[in-house]
This record gives sequence, structure tokens and C-alpha cells, in this order.
Amino acid sequence: MIPDLSNLIVLYCLVPLFAGLLSVALVNHQWPSRILGVISFATLFLGAVSTLCAIVPGQDILVSQMGGWAAPYGITLVFDSFSGMLIAAAAAVSLGAYIHSFSTLQPKVERRYFHPLIQMLIFGVNLSFLTGDLFNLFVAFEIMLMASYALLCLGASDQQLRHAYKYVLLNILASTVFLMGAGMVYGMLGTLNIADMARIVAEAQANGESLPVGFTAIGVLFLFVFGLKGAFFPLWFWLPDTYWTVPIAIGGLFGGLLTKVGVYTIARLFPLVFAQAPPIGVEASDMRVLIMALIAASAAFTMFLAVLGAVSQHHIRRILSIHVISQVGYMVFGIAVMTGQALAGCAFYMIQHMVVKCSLFLCCGLMEKHSGTDDLDKLGSLLKRDKWLGVLFFVAAMSLVGLPPLSGFFGKMVIIQSGWSAGLWWLAIIGLLTGALTLLSMLKIWSYGFWNPGPSPEAEPAAVVRSSNHFAYIGTVMLVTMALFLGFGAPVAYEAAFVAGEQLYNPTAYVEAVLGDGRLGDIAWSDTMDQPTVTPTENLALRTAP
Amino acid sequence: MTVILAVCVAVTVAVAMYLLLSRELKGIAMGVFLIGHSANLVILAMSRSPVITTAEGSKSLKLPPILGYGEDAADPLSNMVDPLPQALILTAIVISFGVMGFLLALIVVTGRVTGTLDLEDFDDNPEGVDPERQAFSARWNAPIPDPTLNNPHPSARASGRPEEIATP
Repeated sequence: MIPDLSNLIVLYCLVPLFAGLLSVALVNHQWPSRILGVISFATLFLGAVSTLCAIVPGQDILVSQMGGWAAPYGITLVFDSFSGMLIAAAAAVSLGAYIHSFSTLQPKVERRYFHPLIQMLIFGVNLSFLTGDLFNLFVAFEIMLMASYALLCLGASDQQLRHAYKYVLLNILASTVFLMGAGMVYGMLGTLNIADMARIVAEAQANGESLPVGFTAIGVLFLFVFGLKGAFFPLWFWLPDTYWTVPIAIGGLFGGLLTKVGVYTIARLFPLVFAQAPPIGVEASDMRVLIMALIAASAAFTMFLAVLGAVSQHHIRRILSIHVISQVGYMVFGIAVMTGQALAGCAFYMIQHMVVKCSLFLCCGLMEKHSGTDDLDKLGSLLKRDKWLGVLFFVAAMSLVGLPPLSGFFGKMVIIQSGWSAGLWWLAIIGLLTGALTLLSMLKIWSYGFWNPGPSPEAEPAAVVRSSNHFAYIGTVMLVTMALFLGFGAPVAYEAAFVAGEQLYNPTAYVEAVLGDGRLGDIAWSDTMDQPTVTPTENLALRTAP
Repeated sequence: MTVILAVCVAVTVAVAMYLLLSRELKGIAMGVFLIGHSANLVILAMSRSPVITTAEGSKSLKLPPILGYGEDAADPLSNMVDPLPQALILTAIVISFGVMGFLLALIVVTGRVTGTLDLEDFDDNPEGVDPERQAFSARWNAPIPDPTLNNPHPSARASGRPEEIATP
């Protein structure tokens, strides 16, 4: 534990909050509010990266109890390696999309409180990454969702409004179910602190007591809620219909950020509480088997059906939107395997996907600037117009596909490898097949947009577009460079990811950090995948023997 | 008591789901409103029954959760209401008000822009709009008539602000 850092983690929420409040006052001053936003995101990014560098080598977990109230009663903020990585990636993505928006967003839209809303979105996202309390997680979700509803309708074009209802209504429904679930957890376990929930469940399993009636049902309820937010298989209709309607910088930010919050919550809650690996000597419960089967099936369908949908589309924005879902499937695959290594792969894949997906959306924005449309039939010969845009798009697309030296490869490799060795070979095969189809759809954009001689676009000369959109180029280059770094500098990012995976998989350190040492007794989480299962009766016999 | 709450929750959720599945956006808004309330009732039901039965069989309500107000040191929750669910409900009510306000504003803007409040009309090709829908949109976007223009009374002229009303 590093005492001088642990109370500073509240700054990851306060910086965007105050930047947002200030930019409400600055709403009619374009450049001051832009500079304020850049400062806020850069501070978040640098702060998160330096904090990660401080805590990863010692596998520390920073905990801050709000108002000094000890853990199960107060609100706890927890900064471990997993949430730190995601906060850093979220700040990087928002910085890139924000700088991109300077030249692509209409001034009319920008004046309608774009700057405060985007800060509030990051405030909600960071709070939901940090919080260790179920009800506070609900509040963080609502902050994030309110900002995203408003950003989704910003500019109020006909299409935006007509498609916004799917997103808004489904998310309101999911939030309500989440609220009910949180209330039921309180009624059942008497606590809302996630670490305390984990302790209660682990103690009950270790003592051979049964969990309260309906605990599995609540687990499935939460799977529904976070599955909807993360756009898993049966619950993803809202995403491809809404993401293509928004201005491209906002679309990139949404594609990068929002689904990851749902995936993060599943990766945080399920290994810890609802699908907890039972303590040593206890058999896996029916609940764990059921929930793991649900997650695995959902991962398979999410990956494969979404990529088929992407192959069938003919507009770049729609292809990219549906690809978000397909890649969420890989992350859910990592959670479904639920070993330390797979969760590490999931964490790495999440951050690289945030960066890569956002940079692809930003490239799509530049392609639209050059040709005035995102319809692949009307695009063509972009490589002649702007070869550097071609390079940017190619690097980002191949990172998404996962060609070896680029970042997507390392995430997929670890997830698929650990899935194969854990016996989920069918899921691994579907994953490989999905990768091939992803390559197909990316090559489709590449060949239609860049290589196809096609109809020459009737836009301004390339030099004019380039000089009037240099902020868009800066933002895109920043994110593509970051994607390259995650590929070539993968060992550095992997160190953090492996610490994150281990901490997720073996949550003793998390629970003890939040609740204080000694609260956990001598319960230890076990590895049911690798160890031979010991039945409770044998365990009892071992205990009574001298 | 808990049973009554459970029945209330069941009824409100059922009505809310019926409204959420309707075609009209106004009906959907009412559904969102109701389902928020039913979530609050679920949390309230989780604070266990507020009625306590004494050993003699007489029933009384639990005490308010205030320190030094008849609490039982061994098991405070035996004769005091659990305050936490109510605090949660308070937060949830405020949030659902915010969501509701946003949704209603969104519906007003949608009506103005698309000219319809019926989800069936939300198709992907706004080019072939039917005249009825255009008329609706025009009605929405028409400038609000100035009430002071035809009113000869001088006090109405003084209180109205024609320059703001005429340009909505």
C-alpha cells in the first residue's frame, strides 16, 4: 500500500467533474473550453499511467474510503491494476476523439454543451471503474448514461432522434432492473459493498452453508443488465442502430468506451461474487456452472453473429458499429474461461480495443471528409487522394484483425490459447473463424475505399481537406500511435494486464485491501479448473484426522 | 406488509411493461415513469416488514431509525426500521426524475423534428413523408400566436412580452 497515493484516486472523478462544471461557464468561449478539456483528459491519462507504474510492480491496490467511513458502510473507491488500465485507456480515447472533434464537429453542435457533456461522460465512466459499491455503481452508470443520451441526440437530426429511442429505452430498462437487483442484494446479504459480498459468499461456501434463495437469479439478473450495457448476444440490437447516427467523434468515443463499462462490471463482479471460484475443498456450485455456461454461449453467439452482420453491411460506420459487438464477444470469451491468464487477456484486449476501435472511427470520419459519404459504393481511390490516411487506416484495421506484430494479436492469442487449454475448444475455433471474417470485412473497406478506382469523389481537393482538418489528423495519429505502442510494447502493457488478471481471479488481495486485513479469515480461493476436485466429505475427513 | 408490497410491484411492473410496449411515445414515457416507481417499491420491500409482533401478539410499527430512540443494543433492527433502503430510494427517485425530464424533452423535440410521435412511423426513409405527418410537423413548428395582439385590454399588453413570444 502506498499511503500518499490512495486518497488521490478520487481525483480521477473530481478532475472531469470540475472541468465539466467550469466548461458550463465557458460554453460561449470555444477555445478556452477546448483547452480546458484537453488539460483535463491529459491529466487523467498521465495520472493513471504514472499511478499504474507505481502500483503494478508491487501488485498494490489503492483504496480510498470516502469520508473516512470504513468499508462495508461507506463508499469505497478502489484503484487496482484493472481499473487503472481502463481509466488510462478511457482518458487516451477521449483525448483522441476530443481533439478530432475540433475539426469535425459542427460549431452549432459544439455550442450545445458538448464540452460539459463529454466531461460528465468521462466522470461517470471513471466512477464506475473505480467504485467498490454496488449502489454507487448504479449512480455512476446513470451519470454516464445521462451524458451519453444527451450526446447521442446532440444536434437533434431526424435520424438521430428516431434511432435514439432504442438506446435510451433499453438502457433505462436495464438501469431499473439493476436498481431492483441492487436492492435485492441488500435484502439478501445485508451489504452493498462488492468486497463484503465476496467475503459473505466465500464464507458461506467454505462453511458448507447454502447461499440465500434466489442468489443465482440475481446473478442472472445482473448478467442481463451488464450484458445489455455491454451489448452481448441476445441484447445488442440497440447498438448498431444508434452508433452510426451520431457525429463521428462522439461515435468513436461511444464505440471505444461505453460497451467496455458493461464488460468491466461483469469481469469485476462475476469472478468476485456471482460465479466465484469456490474455496479450496468445495465443489463448484450449480450456480457457477449455469452462469459460466450462459456466459460461454453468449460469447460464441456474440462473436460470430455480429461479425456476420458486419460482413453483410455496406456503410463504413455500420460495419464499425457492428464490429464493436463482435469484439465484445472476445472479451466475454476471456471472462467465460475465467482463469487468471484468460482474464489478463480480457483486460489487455479491452484496452487495445478501446484505442483501436476509436481510431478506426476517427479514420472513418476523415474518409468521410475526403469523399462526403461513408457508402462503400460511392467511395474509391482514396489512396491516391491521401496515402497517409491509408496508412493510418491500415494500421488500425490490422490491429483490430490481430495480425501478429500489432496489438489485437496478443489479446486474442492469450484468450484463445487459455480457452483451448481450459477445454472450451469450440469457443476457440469460433474465435479464430471470427478473426478471419473480421479480416474479410476490413479488407472490404480497404479495397472499396482505398484501392477501388471507383467513382472519383466530388469533394474539395485533398490538400484543402488536409489543411482544414489538421486537428482530426492529430487525434487519429495519436490513437494509431498508441495502438502501435500496445502492439510493439505489448510486454509493458501485459505486465499490468497479468497483475489485473491474477487479482481478478484470486480476489483475496482485493477483499483484504477493501475490508482491512484479517477480515477474510483463512479462506482461500481455489483453482477449480486445474486442481482435482475434492469433495466436502473428504475434506472433512482430512480435517478430523490428527 | 411485504406481501402487499410484492403485489403492488407486480401490478406496477405489469402495467409499465404494457405501456413500454405501446406504439405511442407518450405511453412509453408513462411506462418509464411507472417502472422507476416499481423499482423503488422493490427496494422498500427489501427493508423487511415495518410491523413487529410482540410476545403477547399485539402488533406495532417499528420505530424511526434515530439514535437513542428506543434502540435495542443487541439487535437494533429488531424494533427499528432499516434506514438504508430509504436512503437508496431517495437517490433513485432523484435519478428517475432526471431521466424522466430528459425523456419528455426528447419526445417534444422528436415531435417537432420528425413530425410524429408514433413509433410505427419511424422508418428509415424520411423522403417519402406522408402529408399528414408534414402537417403535424408544421403544427409543432408553427410560431406560437401572440395572445396580446387581439386583446384590447391595456394590462394584457403590459404584461405580455410580444417580442419574445413572437420568435419562439
